Amino acid sequence: MNRTETDRPEIDLNSIDPILAAEEPLLPSSGFLASVMERVREEAVAPPPIPFPWKRALPGMTLLVGVFGWGFFEFVRGGLPTAAAVSVAIPHLSASEMQTLEQAGWVGFALGVSLLSWLLSRRLVGRTGLL
Amino acid sequence: MSNTPSADATLADPDRADAARVLAGDIQAFEGIVRRWQGPLVNMAWRYCRDRSRAEELAQEAFIRAWRGLAKWRRESSFSTWLFALAANVFRSDLKRFPTVMVPIDAAPEPSGPATQHSALAAQFNADSVRRAVLALPPRYREPVVLFYFHEMDLGAAARTMGLPEGTMKARLSRARALLRRRFPHLKAQHAEMEMVALNTGK
Repeated sequence: MNRTETDRPEIDLNSIDPILAAEEPLLPSSGFLASVMERVREEAVAPPPIPFPWKRALPGMTLLVGVFGWGFFEFVRGGLPTAAAVSVAIPHLSASEMQTLEQAGWVGFALGVSLLSWLLSRRLVGRTGLL
Repeated sequence: MSNTPSADATLADPDRADAARVLAGDIQAFEGIVRRWQGPLVNMAWRYCRDRSRAEELAQEAFIRAWRGLAKWRRESSFSTWLFALAANVFRSDLKRFPTVMVPIDAAPEPSGPATQHSALAAQFNADSVRRAVLALPPRYREPVVLFYFHEMDLGAAARTMGLPEGTMKARLSRARALLRRRFPHLKAQHAEMEMVALNTGK
């Protein structure tokens, strides 16, 4: 914690410096050391945390990715021709096009819900300090 | 008296020696680390929250994280740098989840008026006001101030603890000082006057 000339910031010393620099040191309470060591001993004998079961989760995750991939593919396949057919004037859509558009809409909605759910779970896990 | 190489290493860097013993399975060796660093860590935590019991809780949590992560300490950096950076992370994330009750910087109490400014009590009150105002700074400016003064105004050490380049640290400090000065415009004049009084009275 030694201060050198090169470390010194180019900021003028005014009354804020002595106030913030000269602070009475706080002594830890008498039981602090014992309390820390007790927790350390507890930690030492505690079983290691259970690792995430990647092997078991992998099939499910693969399936999920597959479903999302398929959904995205369908969305693009069905949505692009429909989108290309849309002009500035109000388009007249046939029944089959309407059906494709409706399906694409549902796929998009499902993707949106999944994304929201994922973001929410990340936020909740972050709050609990697990991440 | 001749020392063995192991004894020399212990004398030269007790933290390194204790860490090696802990990693070899000697839990008790961690006590040496706690004994040496409990004061700095509790003081550092105190500057983050200004609450004694919480400061000890935070310091304890930092020691537990250090215990868990001791194997991750890369020996090329000093133990103190590693420990302070780890502690700063612990304090930062804990205070983010459970913030201390604080007032906005513009609502921080004013320093006492001219009638009482020469008394020790008024000086103490002023100092407390400034220290509490630091806690009311926006987080990105608060932490550089806390660490800069904790590290006895060593900009490099404070920057290493935060994991920031020195230039960024300097800029944030400068901004924090501007905010504090804006909040306490009379402090400089008061301080000069108090120094003058002290000189005149021969203290």
